[in-house]
Amino acid sequence: MTPELDRRSFLRVGAAAGATYLFSSSPAAPAASAARSRKRVYVLVVDGCRPDEIGSGLMPRLQALRDGGTNFPRARSLPIMETIPNHVMMMTGVRPDRSGVPANVIYDRREQVIRDMDRPADLHYPTVIERLNRDGLTTGTVLSKEYLFGIFGKRATHRWEPGPIVIPVSGHAPDQSTMDAALAMVEEFDPNLVFVNLGDCDRAGHSDVTGPTAQAVRRAALVSSDTQVGRFVDMLTSTGRWRNSVMVVLADHSMDWSLPNRLISLQPAFDADGLLAGKVQIAQNGGADLLYWIGRDNRRRAAVDRMRTIARATPGVLSTHSGADLKLGARAGDLIAYCKSGWRFSDPAPLSNPIPGNHGHPATRPIPFFLAGGSRLVGSGVSSPRLAHTIDVAPTVGKIFGLGEPRGGYDGRVRI
Amino acid sequence: MCREIVALCVTNRQNQTMQDTSAISPPDLDRRSLLVAGAAGAGALALDVGFAGHADAAANRYFKHGVASGDPYPDSVILWTRVTPSAAATAGSGKGPRVSVRWQVARDEAFENVVSEGTFGTGPGRDHTVKLEAGGLRPRTSYYFRFLHRGVASRVGRTKTAPAHNATPRRLRFGVVSCSNWQAGWFSAYRHLSERDDLDAVLHLGDYLYEYAPGEYGYGNSNEDIRPHVPAREMVSLADYRQRHAQYKTDRDLLDLHAKAPFIVTWDDHETTNDAYRNGAENHQPETEGDYKVRRARAYRAYDEWMPVRMGSAADLGDGTKLYRRIRFGNLAELSMLDLRTYRSKQVANGLSGVSDPDRTITGDAQLNWLKDSLRNSRAQWKLVGNPVMIAPVVFPPLPADVTSAVNDVTGLLPEDGVPYNVDQWDGYTADRRKIFRHLADHGVNDTVFLTGDIHSGWACDLPLDASTYPATRSVATEFVCTSVTSNNLDDITGTPPRTTSLVVEAGIQTSNRHVKYLNFDDHGYSVLDVTSHRTQMDYYKISDRAKRNATSEWTASWVTEANSQTVHAATSPVGATAGDAR
Repeated sequence: MTPELDRRSFLRVGAAAGATYLFSSSPAAPAASAARSRKRVYVLVVDGCRPDEIGSGLMPRLQALRDGGTNFPRARSLPIMETIPNHVMMMTGVRPDRSGVPANVIYDRREQVIRDMDRPADLHYPTVIERLNRDGLTTGTVLSKEYLFGIFGKRATHRWEPGPIVIPVSGHAPDQSTMDAALAMVEEFDPNLVFVNLGDCDRAGHSDVTGPTAQAVRRAALVSSDTQVGRFVDMLTSTGRWRNSVMVVLADHSMDWSLPNRLISLQPAFDADGLLAGKVQIAQNGGADLLYWIGRDNRRRAAVDRMRTIARATPGVLSTHSGADLKLGARAGDLIAYCKSGWRFSDPAPLSNPIPGNHGHPATRPIPFFLAGGSRLVGSGVSSPRLAHTIDVAPTVGKIFGLGEPRGGYDGRVRI
Repeated sequence: MCREIVALCVTNRQNQTMQDTSAISPPDLDRRSLLVAGAAGAGALALDVGFAGHADAAANRYFKHGVASGDPYPDSVILWTRVTPSAAATAGSGKGPRVSVRWQVARDEAFENVVSEGTFGTGPGRDHTVKLEAGGLRPRTSYYFRFLHRGVASRVGRTKTAPAHNATPRRLRFGVVSCSNWQAGWFSAYRHLSERDDLDAVLHLGDYLYEYAPGEYGYGNSNEDIRPHVPAREMVSLADYRQRHAQYKTDRDLLDLHAKAPFIVTWDDHETTNDAYRNGAENHQPETEGDYKVRRARAYRAYDEWMPVRMGSAADLGDGTKLYRRIRFGNLAELSMLDLRTYRSKQVANGLSGVSDPDRTITGDAQLNWLKDSLRNSRAQWKLVGNPVMIAPVVFPPLPADVTSAVNDVTGLLPEDGVPYNVDQWDGYTADRRKIFRHLADHGVNDTVFLTGDIHSGWACDLPLDASTYPATRSVATEFVCTSVTSNNLDDITGTPPRTTSLVVEAGIQTSNRHVKYLNFDDHGYSVLDVTSHRTQMDYYKISDRAKRNATSEWTASWVTEANSQTVHAATSPVGATAGDAR
């Protein structure tokens, strides 16, 4: 056992079909549920789900939850419409310029490397997870993706360690395993807040070469994810937890599919420019490119102008923005380029991004977002035209548990 | 437009061979071919100024054109009337004294609680019309209003302000109408809408009145005039337009509806003349009718005078001719009303050339950018678009976009979105349509619903990004098209019984256009649009017989767009006539 593991306590929990799941817990964590509050909040992220897919007939359990609870059909993901920043926004309630997490992938100027934002130290702002813990409540994370498990690190009281069953290429655990772990987490530890990411819809969306038309793989994943959510609801009902529960069900972003000939590679165009050649780093985030000037500071303004001009003239580019415009903070670089629907970025080379399904661009902003559960806090059969965002999750969770606002206040709003 | 339905009929009779491309010409029936000899009835107008218990004879004398309201904002609404201060001051006469008219807005019908009032001066220079913006009102509140002249009060009108911008209304409900041709019948559709108590407003999507002389465009394929137009000529002069407006505003059903709910209107072509475009119109002959833009200016001036609408930044007469505008209903819906006649390029000669020319436009650049802004800025959940002509592609079987592009590389012959039936609607300006549809897709804009008139038939359509591959590919919005109040539709023109010949045509169109989910070419009537956060629902009602003064009304179909679906599906029942019914 490594020294790091020495500081944690582990529990191996048996589950269906003889499988076992490994959980780590903070040293001071109680073995079972905290008695301070009977309220339970379960944030279920159906990663990459489009709002229209909930009503497509493929997701009857989710549709029933949506229609029986409080739905926000105008809900939106926020820039960059990627997994890590939006999960961070859910748990912090603040925009990336305050949390420090603008995208899945950035160019790290200090380390001079393009990398995932998957380190616990990348997240600068206190999450509602930590704040609940400090308030004497317990929390749990069941995150199917390696980089999510990475960035949220040891913040939760109880964490599922998905390592052994992560699919090598996709870097995620299948929904059935994730849900097994979520069920085990609730039944074993019963945390006040559990944060679950179901990754199949997203991963199937990325890899589905039939995405622009048939979406064969994707549709199968929708059915599967719906089944897993149904298992969770059934568990809450059968164990009597439903009446005290609030489920926050949403996606982090939606999904858009491109054809093989709808690729945008900005790097060759920059390299062909006398000012920009060799002086621009690109952190590719599917439908969004983060552009970093790495040349001399006194040339930055001219270089950004040139990048903007070249990007806007490139077929498939929708728009360009500054990090300040999108409240992304300095880590997002000097310029952000969005692609049009049906396109994707592939940088630095045309083969760098072979996957048809992408997100990150404005086409992928609409998300499902609804509250369900037996708690009296949940409105029944309500649809609200108010504009909801991923950033509203933390304020909502905080409100349910009577948590005050963090320093500087939330950027999101309470939705309950 | 009135003639596209004719073109469509002709086209469908011939579309099995498509050898003769002239068959798909736009309204290629010369208007004179439709003239009926002996325009009986000229001068035989029986002005219907009865107010049926709504006001007394004195009120009829001064306020014979009724009262109206329109364009509700959270804190204000447009109020309208016309005063006839002397016998000589007839509409369009240019005669009569300048007078003052007092107006009042109250919370109660007895006007014991007046909340806003003032005096408005009018005279022959503005055809004695009165139009003002009554401010200081409360959001989403019903008010009563009236006008007074020489101590005589007009009939009492009822209006309603829009919800506050930050409000979350549970529902909105609108009457939806278009294409009300006096000569083709009675406006029973208006009467049935006026009998409802649940409408926030009435959307009139164009062709509120028609320009034709008696005998030119009436009832059925014989153009019988159920009621002849006044003046007994095609309206061309300012006096003509004023008199025609005045005539329409003597229809009891229309007056009752104007007095019952605020109108939100846009024009199509017939408010000026048939198949209008930026610099001319099919039904405008410069050699005998003068400069088109002079004629159009007259039409617009009369419209500004006679309609309860903002045509600029305020209600002031002559403060502008910009009819496209937004009206917001809290965060539930924002309505963008379009003007698709003032800025459009001339219609192409047929559907095979020019329809996808990017240099041609139906909106004009400024309005297109304005509409994109309306759609992109998420001020409200439902982005409703008051759309004078149909935007759904209605084409002969379209080829996939990439195939079309490849063929055009060689031949340059194929329209990019298929060969359209009707080039007077968005099908004749596909570059602008593509920009809008792409805009919706690129920016992730959901819950856009186009509300359309013009085509004298009822439709419910998905709006596919690429009609050729639909439904394998996605829809980006939906469209509900209301039928005509009276203007001829397919069975009227073919002379066949309803739901016979038309069924074949409807099936043919739906086969080639899989996004067209509902189509009814035969009914006349009105629609009711119900908007909740869950969904929008369009209920289609038909009237029994437009030739009968007291036609009955019957529900025929309902179609729904669920939130975030961008598709339509049938509903089993209409919403009730009271605001408290279930979703």
